[in-house]
Amino acid sequence: MSDVAAVLAVARKDLLQELRSRAATVATLFFTGTTLLMMAFALGREPGVLERSAPGVLWVALVFAGVTAAAQSFQADLEDGALDHLLSFPVSRAAVFLGKLLAAWAYLAALGLLLAPVATTLYGAPLEGAGAYLLLALTVVLGAFGFATIATFYAALTANLQAREALLPVLMFPVVVPIVLAAVRATESLLGGAAGPVGDWLLLLLGFDLIYFVVCTSLFHFVVDE
Amino acid sequence: MTLAAAQRTAPPGAAEGTAPAVSLRGVVRRMGRETVLRGIDLDVAPGRLVVLRGSNGSGKTTLLRLLGTRLRPHAGVARVFGHDLVRQADRVRARVGLLGAAGGSYPVLTGRENLRLALSLAGRSRDEGAVAGALERVGLLAAADKQVRFYSSGMKKRLGLARVLLVDADLWLLDEPYAALDEDGKRLVDVCLAEARSRGRTVILASHEQDRDHLAPDAVVELADGRLRLVSAAGRAAGEATA
Repeated sequence: MSDVAAVLAVARKDLLQELRSRAATVATLFFTGTTLLMMAFALGREPGVLERSAPGVLWVALVFAGVTAAAQSFQADLEDGALDHLLSFPVSRAAVFLGKLLAAWAYLAALGLLLAPVATTLYGAPLEGAGAYLLLALTVVLGAFGFATIATFYAALTANLQAREALLPVLMFPVVVPIVLAAVRATESLLGGAAGPVGDWLLLLLGFDLIYFVVCTSLFHFVVDE
Repeated sequence: MTLAAAQRTAPPGAAEGTAPAVSLRGVVRRMGRETVLRGIDLDVAPGRLVVLRGSNGSGKTTLLRLLGTRLRPHAGVARVFGHDLVRQADRVRARVGLLGAAGGSYPVLTGRENLRLALSLAGRSRDEGAVAGALERVGLLAAADKQVRFYSSGMKKRLGLARVLLVDADLWLLDEPYAALDEDGKRLVDVCLAEARSRGRTVILASHEQDRDHLAPDAVVELADGRLRLVSAAGRAAGEATA
């Protein structure tokens, strides 16, 4: 089988598992919704504060939701020795990583595309023009890709550890900072903030996505092979 | 210890000079601070059935996982059908089928979906007939569209067996295949093993089952204190084996 077919088979498996178990979906939707509301209350009603905070709050909510989802991503593989069997097939480690990444990316991107308009509306930071919405969608997709890459890698790294739920965010957060920074600035630029041209931030985001993608794909076999 | 030497007649399909199905020389594997495998030497000719015994924690699963490329040896040379386990792991995986003690299926997928996934990952095109046939063979056709999390332990083991039958690799690595099975299930495993041997498949089977002499394995080996010793081989009694 080509690796492309293997990637799609693994991605389909992960997405099907999530659709049926909703293990991450319920937790992440509840968490992100609560985060948006609580931050809105916490920031107060001063004019402009909520509007300026929208980009940061949106991406904080997505990051925490992503960590919650990442912690679940390898759990099904660990049950009943399924990961051993998955990795005993003649499929490259990179293909397994890409399949799981594809599923995580699809999930996080869908979550982000759902949350972004909710957050901008809730925080009184509407976008102007269809072009801005498209660029916001692109920002969400690129940010979700970078985050999903790192999350999938570190979820595999911590999957067999007892303290994985505590360790995963500790290990991930420093690494995702460039992704989150670029995504927040791009979003801020789209919402009329003084962050500079959105194109510059999107290029930076794309650059970090590519770097993390290459590094994580290359190193994945060291993580799963014992 | 060269188990191939113990067999007087060649198994079906085995040509003269064929590379051993399994060849281990001085294989060492540590798990944490403990050395589980201490210099394992083993040759298994193609088409043989070898039963691997040992007490709990003796390293049987470790050895099978190593042969399935899930673990790397810390020392020594390990080959499957002439391919190095570490440097040519992809080629090894193309010829190995693994059945772990827990069955290895995804709980939220159905039995049928698990087998479809296995076919895909084994590089085969979609074949609903083959999937249905494997499920029927192990007695799971009626439960094929039920999620595996609703299966009993025995049903999960049968599904794992179906996966091995479906993929039908050249080397079968079976870890406690009889565990959790009723008598019908155990007889099913016996029949599948006999059929596999008739097709020239090589089988290494870790089992605590004591009343399976009718399998007539080509060799029984035992892991103890990290070392492998020959208990019996077809045509030779224990004590005649040389290390």
